[in-house]
Amino acid sequence: MRRAHLLGLGFLSPALAIILMLFLIPVLLTVMFSFTNMSTATGISGGAYEINAASLRKLSDAGAQESFVETLGKEAFVVDDAGITAAAAAYGEQFANEVGSQMLGERFDSRRDLERAFRKLKSRPRSTRDIKKAADLFKRSVLNVRFETAGGLLDAVTGNGIEMTPDQQELLTKTIYTGWTWTSDNFALMAQIPYVWRVAGNTLMYVVLTLAASVGLGLFLAITTFYLPSGTATTFRAIWFFPRILPNVIFVLMWKWLAWDTGFLSSLLGNFGVPPRNWMLDTGANAWVFIVLINGIVGASLGMILFGSAIKSIPQSMLHASEVDGASRWQQIRYIILPQLRWPIMFICAYSTLSLLTSFEYILLSTDGGPGGATEVWSLMAFHTALDNYAGNLQYGLGAAMALMLVIVGILASLVYLRIFNFNDLVAKPRIEQ
Amino acid sequence: MRISIENFTKSFGDTTVIEDMSLEIGDGEMLALLGPSGCGKSTTLFAICGIHRMNAGRLLFGDADVTEVSSQKRNVGVVFQNYALYPHMNVYENIAFPLKVRKESRAEVDRKVQEIADLVHIGELLQRRPVQLSGGQQQRVALARALIRKPDILLLDEPLANLDAKLRLEMRSEIRRIQLATGITAVLVTHDQVEAMSMCDRIAIMDKGRIVQLSTPKDMYENPSSAFVAGFLGNPPIAFLEGTVADGGFRLANSRVTLPVPSGIELPGDGAPIRFGVRPEFFQPGNPLKVSGKVSFVEIQGREELYDVTLENGAVLRSIQAQSAGFRLGEDVSWGIAQDKVLAFGPDGNRL
Ligand SMILES: Nc1ncnc2c1ncn2[C@@H]1O[C@H](COP(=O)(O)OP(=O)(O)OP(=O)(O)O)[C@@H](O)[C@H]1O
Ligand SMILES: [Mg+2]
Repeated sequence: MRRAHLLGLGFLSPALAIILMLFLIPVLLTVMFSFTNMSTATGISGGAYEINAASLRKLSDAGAQESFVETLGKEAFVVDDAGITAAAAAYGEQFANEVGSQMLGERFDSRRDLERAFRKLKSRPRSTRDIKKAADLFKRSVLNVRFETAGGLLDAVTGNGIEMTPDQQELLTKTIYTGWTWTSDNFALMAQIPYVWRVAGNTLMYVVLTLAASVGLGLFLAITTFYLPSGTATTFRAIWFFPRILPNVIFVLMWKWLAWDTGFLSSLLGNFGVPPRNWMLDTGANAWVFIVLINGIVGASLGMILFGSAIKSIPQSMLHASEVDGASRWQQIRYIILPQLRWPIMFICAYSTLSLLTSFEYILLSTDGGPGGATEVWSLMAFHTALDNYAGNLQYGLGAAMALMLVIVGILASLVYLRIFNFNDLVAKPRIEQ
Repeated sequence: MRISIENFTKSFGDTTVIEDMSLEIGDGEMLALLGPSGCGKSTTLFAICGIHRMNAGRLLFGDADVTEVSSQKRNVGVVFQNYALYPHMNVYENIAFPLKVRKESRAEVDRKVQEIADLVHIGELLQRRPVQLSGGQQQRVALARALIRKPDILLLDEPLANLDAKLRLEMRSEIRRIQLATGITAVLVTHDQVEAMSMCDRIAIMDKGRIVQLSTPKDMYENPSSAFVAGFLGNPPIAFLEGTVADGGFRLANSRVTLPVPSGIELPGDGAPIRFGVRPEFFQPGNPLKVSGKVSFVEIQGREELYDVTLENGAVLRSIQAQSAGFRLGEDVSWGIAQDKVLAFGPDGNRL
């Protein structure tokens, strides 16, 4: 490799590092998480196997036979070596040997049955109380015992004399595992939840309306400020640029203040006898109006700057020519200015679609998806699912799967845009000058 | 249509660019606004078409006062210096634009575009974009766009500046042909005196926002009112000799040579500084009033040869002669001035 190449690589490496850390690694992690069932319940480290009341309920929910579940849950009395050793220590070798030789491996469903069997032995303890106690030494249960591995659990269950088919074994270990596992269920699950579809619709609406609002407003501002005297125009642009440099939280707070039931709108309309209400969260439609306005106004400032400079780069003489050709202001805008803004407009649309798809901070801060999920968009849903769940059970896996869909849509859209724009062309030739 | 500019003043901020200009352009006349860069030619043109508002004065088209009429309503066709074609429209759409904004019917537009395109010989280029045209073709498109709605007045702002020498020659006669064919009143802005002289009926020479002389090309060439005008017209340009009045003659500066003064010139008193202007065609070997010097520059132009002769006092005279004269650089020569063609100018530059 030539030295110049190394130098180039050297200059590029910060960018590569940033891409790696801020794009590739997060995407890879998202892909990874999206194929797990990680949640608050499973934790993100490993888990264990434990049969308890809750896991038995889960087991029957998962479709295990009732008899199987019942057997697992019941305590049993099993004559095994451990019990015999204990019995030898408590009630003498003789009793132990007799139990060992006659009953080893037998299983009893209740203590009464075992006691009855003991009573048939010659060297049994004399008192009924001791027989009861001896029987207790053989009580075996897998309930509420933690096993680190699936093998340990299965051994213990079979050790209790419970027979299982391979299907049952798999069902058991899968269902009662408390840690996370690899799975592709998240995607199927997403398609099944009607709410997800509603959110997808919301997202489309959000992108289209906000884009229309910001491009429309941006164009309007760029054109009107173009025709204003330059001092006034600069002031105007500065004011309209304000929302973009204002911290998001403060900007949204001002909107909230405008919309609160004790805020500006309510106070103002109160004078006309309109009862006060929270104008932002009153109805879904209201919430949408605010979402589109908040995002549209922020987006418009970028459009204004971009369109404004594009208009300025239209040669003066071309505008003069259209005037002496008889074009009115409106015709000048329609036939001379707008056609030459085609590329900036397309660029803003492309750029904004991508950023709108993934950005949710203004919605989070203003309506938080409300009222009742009316303004929940995809990225916000992913955030809610994975990191900010009402129910308290954060579903990292499902949330990651949702986020992954956004990544895929974003990449596809970028590819389409690259095709439409043919960015090489765009860079090679100025689109405004002849 | 007759154009009258009366006491026109234009200023940008504090700087007054045009002051108290009056100019009358006859119906069907083609007038050149000629002057050095920055003298206010374009400003005058833009005031006529309404792009610039006049700070003071009146503008009349025919008998109508259009001072306050917007540029859209003046019905003036303009060809801009850089043509200002609309890059996103093809040639047809460019030419049709003035009709389109007036919402004329399709058939009508079609007919008129075809007609005007034939007039300027671009009938087969209608589907091209401006970028796909040569400079001369773009220029014709701009002309067609300016002419399509039959304007009362045609304004041309240095329309030939961007063209190469050959094309410029071609378009010169082309524009004049079209102007004559349509009988339109036209104003041509240029800083090329050849263009002005060859294309226009009259020339208005401007300097620093004022018209210094308004006349026909021939009259202006032969009777310039000032040294500025004399220096502006003619290629190769006129040569000036500095000197003083001595004994009713012209004493060259730093020299003992005294030249007789042509008849009919009123000289100031003895010792007053004056200037003689001698055009190259009037400094020839065959003329009687000899001055001697050394050939200091030779330029062979094919059909003609151009010489600079440096006199003993350092002044330079130019001569243009038919080819085959064959003088060489450094040669000592003694050539003559055509005495009755000499132009004399006073110390303020005005013609004596
Ligand atoms: N918009 C403007 N603002 C301020 N000054 C201007 C403006 N337009 C022209 N001027 C000034 O007015 C003077 C005349 O300009 P104008 O364009 O009429 O010159 P011109 O004769 O057309 O020159 P050129 O041959 O270089 O085109 C110049 O000094 C120029 O700097
Ligand atoms: Mg000019």
